[in-house]
Amino acid sequence: MGDYRVAVDVGGTFTDMIVHNERTGEARVAKTPSVPANPAVAIMNALQKAGLTPSDMSFFAHGSTVGTNALITRKLPRTAVVATTGFRDIHEIRRGTKPDLWDAYADVAPPYVKRRDRFEVPERIDYQGNVLAPLDEAEARRVAKLMARRGYEAVAVTFINSYMNGDHETRMKEIIQEEMPGVFVCTSFEILPEIFEHERFSTTIINAALAPVVSKYLASLTDQLRGGGYAGDVLVLHSGGGVMTAEAISKNAARIAVSGPAAGAMAGAFFAQQCGFPNAISFDMGGTSADISLMFNGEVRVSNEWSVEYGYPIMFPSIEIVTIGAGGGSVAWIDDGGSLRNGPQSQGADPGPAAYRRGGTEATNTDANLTLGRLSPGGLLGGAMPLDKEAAEQAVATKVGGPLGYDAVKAADAVIQVANANMADAVRLISIRRGYDPRDFCLVSFGGAGSVHAADLARELDIPAVVVPPYPGITSALGCLLVDVRHDLFRTYLASADGASVDAVEAEFQKLEAEARERLKAEGMTGDRVQLRRQMDMRYVGQWRSLTVPVSTPLGANLQGSLDRFHAEHQREYSFSNPAGAVEIYGLRVVGIGLVEKPEFPKRSAAGILNDAIKETRQVYFGESGGFHTTVIYDRDKMPAGATFQGPAIIDQMDTTTVVPPDWRGEVDEHGNIVLRIVR
Amino acid sequence: MESSTRRLDPVTFEVLKNSFVNLVDQMSEQMLRTCYSFVIYARDFSNCLCDANGDTVMQGSQDIAVHVGTLHYSAKAVLEAFKGDLHPGDVIAVNDPYLGGTHFCDVRIIRPVFEGDRLVALIQTNGHWADVGGTVPGSFDITAKEFYGEGLRIPPVKIWDKGVYRADVANLLVANMRLADERLGDLRAQAEATRIGEEYLRRLIAKYGVDTVVDAMAECQDYVERLTRARIRELPTGTWETEDYLDIDPVKGEGLVPVHVKLTIDGDDLVYDLTGSAPAVGCFLNAAYGSAFSAIVAGSKTFFPEIPLNSGFYRVVKAHLPEGSVVNAPWPVAVTGFCSGAYEKIMNATFEMWSKVMPERALACSFNLEYLLVGGWDRRPGYDRPFMWYDWMVGGWGGRNGKDGSSATAPVFGVGLMIQPLEGQERLTPVITTHHEILTDSAGPGKHRGGCGVRKGGILTKNDRSVMSYSCDRERSVTFGIEGGLPGYPHGATLQPGTPEERFLGAIFSGVPVKEADVFDRPSSGGGGFGDPLDRDPAEVLEDVIDGYVSIERAKKDYGVVVEEVDAEMLDYRLDEKATVTARKHIRENRAAWLKEDPEAIAAKYRSGDLDLLDTIRQYGVIVDQRDGQLLPNTTRQFRDMLDRRTVAHWN
Repeated sequence: MGDYRVAVDVGGTFTDMIVHNERTGEARVAKTPSVPANPAVAIMNALQKAGLTPSDMSFFAHGSTVGTNALITRKLPRTAVVATTGFRDIHEIRRGTKPDLWDAYADVAPPYVKRRDRFEVPERIDYQGNVLAPLDEAEARRVAKLMARRGYEAVAVTFINSYMNGDHETRMKEIIQEEMPGVFVCTSFEILPEIFEHERFSTTIINAALAPVVSKYLASLTDQLRGGGYAGDVLVLHSGGGVMTAEAISKNAARIAVSGPAAGAMAGAFFAQQCGFPNAISFDMGGTSADISLMFNGEVRVSNEWSVEYGYPIMFPSIEIVTIGAGGGSVAWIDDGGSLRNGPQSQGADPGPAAYRRGGTEATNTDANLTLGRLSPGGLLGGAMPLDKEAAEQAVATKVGGPLGYDAVKAADAVIQVANANMADAVRLISIRRGYDPRDFCLVSFGGAGSVHAADLARELDIPAVVVPPYPGITSALGCLLVDVRHDLFRTYLASADGASVDAVEAEFQKLEAEARERLKAEGMTGDRVQLRRQMDMRYVGQWRSLTVPVSTPLGANLQGSLDRFHAEHQREYSFSNPAGAVEIYGLRVVGIGLVEKPEFPKRSAAGILNDAIKETRQVYFGESGGFHTTVIYDRDKMPAGATFQGPAIIDQMDTTTVVPPDWRGEVDEHGNIVLRIVR
Repeated sequence: MESSTRRLDPVTFEVLKNSFVNLVDQMSEQMLRTCYSFVIYARDFSNCLCDANGDTVMQGSQDIAVHVGTLHYSAKAVLEAFKGDLHPGDVIAVNDPYLGGTHFCDVRIIRPVFEGDRLVALIQTNGHWADVGGTVPGSFDITAKEFYGEGLRIPPVKIWDKGVYRADVANLLVANMRLADERLGDLRAQAEATRIGEEYLRRLIAKYGVDTVVDAMAECQDYVERLTRARIRELPTGTWETEDYLDIDPVKGEGLVPVHVKLTIDGDDLVYDLTGSAPAVGCFLNAAYGSAFSAIVAGSKTFFPEIPLNSGFYRVVKAHLPEGSVVNAPWPVAVTGFCSGAYEKIMNATFEMWSKVMPERALACSFNLEYLLVGGWDRRPGYDRPFMWYDWMVGGWGGRNGKDGSSATAPVFGVGLMIQPLEGQERLTPVITTHHEILTDSAGPGKHRGGCGVRKGGILTKNDRSVMSYSCDRERSVTFGIEGGLPGYPHGATLQPGTPEERFLGAIFSGVPVKEADVFDRPSSGGGGFGDPLDRDPAEVLEDVIDGYVSIERAKKDYGVVVEEVDAEMLDYRLDEKATVTARKHIRENRAAWLKEDPEAIAAKYRSGDLDLLDTIRQYGVIVDQRDGQLLPNTTRQFRDMLDRRTVAHWN
C-alpha cells in the first residue's frame, strides 16, 4: 500500500486528478481528456500522467458523470417496470406539468421506460399497509418468465402504497430473481419508502436503469485498480455530498447522478472553514454556467428532490445547487425589444469567445472582461491559449456597443454589470430567499471564471469577504478528497406531534440508526468513525410541504425540543411561524456518516517578497471606481504566505484570474488561499 | 401607440426587469411551501407586481394561464374601492369575478407599497382556495344560474388596516367557508408572500431610488409592448374567424353552444371580436369579462412563448366581448365553471386561428379541463368527519405541425397545474383509486396524432351522505382535429361501469348520490389530430400499436394501417403493407360519403352494437346521447358542419 491519496473528477471534457502524498504532504494535479466510452481509461491515463500506479495509492475516491450522461443520452440498458394492475403508466403520466408553460412545442422528455416494457401484476395494499388484494403469485411468475424471455437487464418493482408495506414488492422481487438470475432488481420500498407514487416510482426506475451501467463501470474500474495493486476501497461521490463504496453505489446507482457539482460544493465549504468562515456561498463559474451552493454553520444545504430531466424526480437528498446559464462563454445580446441580455446561450469552448479566434464573433463575458483589461492577453493555461484583445473589443463594440450607442469599453462594462446582476439574483435565491443574510457569509469562488467576477458579485450582495482557493480549476476533484462516507435514510412516519408517542418515534429512529450502522459497517466504518444524525420532517397541520429539521439524540422526555426547532426553522425559512399551531410529523431521517481521514496539505512558504510576484502593470477598467486604473498584475505562484495587498490588482495563475477592484484588500493565508475583504 | 420614451440606461433597466421576475418568483416559492389548500399546492396560483395604476409589471414565470390578464383588473378594483383611503400596512382581499376576477375560489390578496406618502406599487397573490363556501363542497355548484349560492363573494375588503389585523373581518370571511382554519392558513400564507414581495421591492428602492424603480416598472410594460408589436408587424395582416362549442345550454336543450372568435391583425394591434357567440347559458360555464379576456391573452401568448407577460402585452390586445353572452356574462349570472366552459373554448379557437397565422406553431384542440368531486362524510374506522375528493386529470394536447401532441399533460387552462398523488388522496378520503392509466385510442388520429388522454377511476369505501359532481365539457363538442385531423375522445363520467347498473352521467352533473362500494370511472380526451390520418407514416402507427396507444382495430379504421399480431408477448407485430394500401384506398374513397349517411341509421347501428362510439364520432360525425344511444340531431348537424370545415376540407 502506497502513500498517495488520489481523487478524480471525471467530467464531460476533462478528467481531473489530484494526488496527495500523506507522508510528505506534497500535492499535484493531472488533467487528461475524458474517454466517454470508457471513463476508467481516462482515470488510468491520469494516474500515469501523475507518475503513479494503483499500488502507490492508499485511498481512491472519485466523482463521475457516468450516471448523468447515461440518463441524458438515454444510453440505458433495457429496463422493465412491474406495477400494480392499473398503474403501469404512472411513470409516463407523472404530475402532468411542463417546465415551459407557454411553449406548446417544448415537451417533457419521454419516460425512461417505454410503455411496452411496463408490466402489471394484480395486488393492492391500502393506505395503512393492509392487504386489499393479495399478490397474484401465478401472474407474478408469468410476468417474470416473460421478462426473462424478453431479456431485460434491470427491473423496477413499483406497487401502490408499498411505502406502508413492502411485502408484495419484496415477494415480487424474489420471484423475479428466481426467474431472472443475475438481473438487477430493486423495489420502491427498499429504494425510497416515501409516500407519493410518482416520485417514489421515478426514483426507483431511474435507480434500476442506472444500476447495470454504474455497476459495470465500477466493476471494470475496480478490476483495473486492483489488478494494478490497489488494495483499498473504491469510493464514489454521491449527490448528497458524501462517498459510498463501489459496492453500495451499485445498489443505489441513482445517487451518483450529478456528483460533480456536489464535490465542488463540498470543496467550497472546506476552504471557507479553513479560512475561519462557518457560513459560505460557493460560486463555481465555468465556460457555460455557474453553480451556486450554500453552507450555514458548517452544514452544506441539502434538498430532498431534484432531477436530471424535468418531470422525473430523484428523491434522494442532494446538495442544493442553483445553476444559471452564466459563464465565461455566455453571449451578450440585444433582444427585439432593445434590452441588453446576457446568456443563457453560450459559445462554450468551441467556437468560444471572439477572443479565442476560433470563428466565434459573439460578444461573450470573456470578451468583455478582456476589453476591460481584467484578463491578460497572454491568456490562461500559462499562455497556452492566448486571447486576442482586438477581436474581443470588436465583438463587444459591434454586437453590443453599436445598438446601444456605446463605445467598446462602456459596452463591455454594461455586459459585465448585467452578468453580475443575473448571478446576484441566483445567489439571492439560495440565500436571502431562504432566510440567510449574505452579510454573514463569505463567497468562495472557483471554476475558470469565478474569481474574475467574485468581488463585484460580493459587493452587489453585501458579502464582505471572498475566498479564492489555491486550485480553483480542479475543485471538484479536490472535493472528493474532503468528504466522508454518507448514507441518507428515510422513513415516512405520519403522526400528529401532540399525539405521537416519543417512545415510538425513538424506537423508529433506532431502527433507522441500526440500518445506517449496518450499511457503514459493510463499508468498514465502525466505532468512533461512525456519526449518526437525526432529522425530522414536520409541517403545520394542513400544509403540504414539510421542513426537515435536525433533532437531538435521544429525543428526550417529549417532543417539545423538536417542535421548538421546527418553529424556529419555519420562522427563518419562511419569515413566519405559528407556535400555537398544530404540527404533524411527516417523516424521519437518519444521516449516517463514516469519517474519512482528511489530507493535510503543506503550508505555503512565507519566504520571498510580494514585489517579486509582480509581472507587470496595465490599465484595467473598474466602472464603480470611475474608469481605468493603473493596476498591478501578480503571479499567484510567487505570492508568499502572509502577503497583503490593496486593489486594484489582478492575480494571474494557471487556471484562473482573480480580479481585485480598488476598494478591496487581499491577503494570502498560510494554506495558499487568497482572502479578499471589502474596505468600507 | 408606444407609450413613453426610455429614461433608464440599458443596464439599470435589464437589472431591474430581472429583479422583478425574481421578486414574483420568490413570492411563488413562498406560496408553494406554506399554503394550506391542496389546490394552491398543485400550483393553481399566481403572483404579480402591479404599478401604482394597478397595471401588471411582472407576473410569475410559472403562473397558470387562467389568471393571466385578470390580475390588473383586481388591482384596479382595489384602487377604485379605496380611493384616498389606501395606507401603508393595508392588506386587501378580493375575489369578485364581476370586478375582473376569475371565480370566487380565486382569492386575491393585495398589499400596497408606499414610499412616504407616495403609492409605488401593489403586490398581489392569487390563490385558488379549496373552498369558499356555498351550497357544495369545493364551491363548484354546477347547477347554479346565479352566483348567490356558489360561494362567498368578496368585494375589496381590508384584512389588515394600517398594519392592524382585523380578525373580525377575516373571521367573517372564513366563517362562511368549510375548514375555516385552513382558509386562515391560506390567507396568512398569501399575505406573507406579499410581504416578501414588498421587502424585495424596498431593497430595490433603497438601492436605485424610488423614481428609477417606478420608471423601470413603466418601461417594463413599454418593453413588452414594443417587443410584441415588433413581432406582430412581421406577421401577415388579415382576418381569421372560427367557432368552438360548449356541449349544451341546459335551459335550451340539445344543441352545441357556439363561441365565435374573429381575429384581425392590422398594423401592430391584435383585435379580437367575439360577436356571434351564444347568449349566456343556464349553468355556471359562462365566462365573465375578465376571464374571457384572459383566455384571449393566454391563447395569443402561446404563440409568443418568449415574450414576458405584463400589461404591455395587454395593451396590444383589443377585445370586443358582447355583453350578456357566454363570453361576457354580467352580474349575477353564475360563472364559477368558466374554466371548463367558455374559457377553454376561447383558447382553443384562438389556437386554431393562430395555427393559420403561424403554421409552424400549429396546435389542434386539446382535452377539456375537468374536475370530479366526491364529497360527504368519512366513516372509515377512526374517522368521523367531512371529506372532499376533488380530482382533476391530465389529458392529451392537440397534434402539431411536424409532431404528435403531448400526452398526459396538464390542461391548457394551466400547464403548471399538477395532478395529485393518489397515495395522498387515499390517506385523506374514503376513495380508493382502481386505475390511473393511459387510454388506448383516446388520441385524435392525424398525420400527427393528438397526445394520449388517460382514465382514472375509483371505488368508495366507508362513507355516508356523499354526492358526486363533475365540471367538464366536450362530451359532445368532442376535442377537434385541424388540417384534416380527426377528433379525440368524448369526456364524461360513468357509475358502476361494466355492470348491469352502469350509468353514464355525462360531462357535467351535480349532487349525484353515491355510497359505499360504488365504482366510478372517467376518461380524458386525447388531443385532436393534425393533418390527414391517411398520411401518417405506417411505421409510426405500428409503434403506437406496440405501446398500446392505438389498438389494432382503430389502426385500421382511423389510419387504414393493417397491423398483424404475431406474438404480442414478444412484441412481435408486423405491418401488412399490401393490406394497408387497400385499406387506405377504401377509406379515401368512402369517407366523405360516410359523413353524409343518415344519422338516425348510424345511431341505430350504435345501439345495436354494429358501430362503437368512436366509429360514430370519427367515421360518421354522429353524436349520440351515451345514456340511451339516441341521436342528438342538432348537435350532429353542427358537429358535421364543424368536421367539414376543419377536417374534410383538408382531405385530398
